[in-house]
Amino acid sequence: MLGPQLSETLPINNAMDIVSARRTARSLCQQLGFSNADQTRLATAVSELTRNVIQYAGHGECLIEDCSDELSRRIRVCVRDWGPGIADVEQALQDGFSTSGGLGAGLPGTRRLVDEFTILSDHEGTRVTIVLTRPYRMR
Amino acid sequence: MDTSSLLKQALDYRADSLLQDWTSHVIAHWHSQHSLNDYEQHNLQQRMTVIVQALTPILLRTPVERFEFDPECALAEEVRLLVGEQARSGIQPAQTSYLIIALKQVLTQRLIAVAPSVAELSAALLWLEQVLDRLALFSFEAFVETRERIIVQQSLSLMELSTPVLRLWHQVLLLPLVGVLDTARARQLTERLLEAVTRHEALVTIIDVTGVPVLDTSVARHLMKTIDAARLLGTSIVMTGISPEGAQTLTKLGISFSDVTSRASLRAGIAEALYLVGRRISPIGQNGDVKP
Amino acid sequence: MKIPILRLGRILLVSIQIDLTDNDAMQFQSDLVNLVAETEALGVAIDITALDVVDSYMARVINDTASMVRLLGAEVVICGIQPFVALTLVEMGRDLFGADCTFNLSQGMDKLHAKIALRADARYLEEDDAWPSAQ
Repeated sequence: MLGPQLSETLPINNAMDIVSARRTARSLCQQLGFSNADQTRLATAVSELTRNVIQYAGHGECLIEDCSDELSRRIRVCVRDWGPGIADVEQALQDGFSTSGGLGAGLPGTRRLVDEFTILSDHEGTRVTIVLTRPYRMR
Repeated sequence: MDTSSLLKQALDYRADSLLQDWTSHVIAHWHSQHSLNDYEQHNLQQRMTVIVQALTPILLRTPVERFEFDPECALAEEVRLLVGEQARSGIQPAQTSYLIIALKQVLTQRLIAVAPSVAELSAALLWLEQVLDRLALFSFEAFVETRERIIVQQSLSLMELSTPVLRLWHQVLLLPLVGVLDTARARQLTERLLEAVTRHEALVTIIDVTGVPVLDTSVARHLMKTIDAARLLGTSIVMTGISPEGAQTLTKLGISFSDVTSRASLRAGIAEALYLVGRRISPIGQNGDVKP
Repeated sequence: MKIPILRLGRILLVSIQIDLTDNDAMQFQSDLVNLVAETEALGVAIDITALDVVDSYMARVINDTASMVRLLGAEVVICGIQPFVALTLVEMGRDLFGADCTFNLSQGMDKLHAKIALRADARYLEEDDAWPSAQ
């Protein structure tokens, strides 16, 4: 469905912004025709990522956009901050690391919810991009 | 006149009243904080006499630049004995040190009385001060050492008292923990518990932690070891008395005591424990028999 | 924002309807455990019907709450996990809640009662005079 490309950038500065980001992600998912289950998946992933921003960087931003093409509906979310970064990204992406909620906790779980997951993190900040893709349903 | 001779003169000057002068000084100073009965005073004076006797040869030595006090000498022994007695009778360290300071004052007065010139007086005073200052410091250190030894002993006996294993009912034990749970205590506790479990063939042990002020990781670890050991002997554990704050702290630390039945109140724990041995507490009916 | 805790006899009921900040979560946990201790509560039902997203943070808050309550001797059930929330949690690979879960609050209460019925202190203490605070 090649509709108008929807996109929105949200500031992430406090706990309420986490909820806004979730809602916006869910809403866009819904508009694009993703299932309820997928809506929840994406909203949860966004929740994880934006919460990390608040906890470890204090503030950042969340870009949610429709990048669907002819073959499938796609939604991309990019969460970035300018905080201290994750010291060891490899380690953070392994299961069992900081299950008690340390820096980067929840990343492995988040990765499992989405189809594409990229992370860049250094001392200048962190940027996580996730994509959820589904083929168009035959009605 | 050299210093040694001068000091000898000072010591001889009104020698028979030296002890009395010293004692009056001390008593006057102590009076507000601590008074002595006749027996105690007599005892103290005996010790003081011996100290003067042991001190004299040291004072009469040829003075040196830096006086080093030998902690094994006879004087040191005497001071230790004196100070030990004082520590045990609850006297404050400052008061004990004052003993030596008072002696210095008394001897100084005598030096001033007999010294022929300012120069000779100064030399002798410098030496006197060195020796007695070192002695005063030593007496303070000895006091503190003794006090600490007493405290350790007291806490050991407190430990013994506060970890009894009680027989609550047939085959039911109660272990009330009170106070700080450190490694030594935990070990002792576990030994006692296992011994009791074996002796009474206990099926259930209630461990009450109401009296444990701080439940942190190390305490929890000690408890877990005790619990595990007890379970190996086939006794079930019911834990009671965790406070709301304790519950929050333990959870945040990731500790859950998952295999242990936990109850907030002792009475709930007792009900559980009794149930496990097929007993319960029932009200008594009108005729004095048990209501079904 | 303070989360209200309802008392139904010796069971406490709490409904989490919004995301909790760290402070809110600690306050809530503190309120709950204090009430559990005070009332010698036998069971606690944590209802999360209203939560449409449960991320790892909220999962931990809920789990911790259940653990704390359990340490104080009360039975715990978590009620009303939305189906897609359950699915997401499983896919994320989170340790699922340590407590028993039920579909809705009504089943949750049933389950609590069933677990409480197995307890000695529920059966035999109710006959006695209750402590004044447990009125």
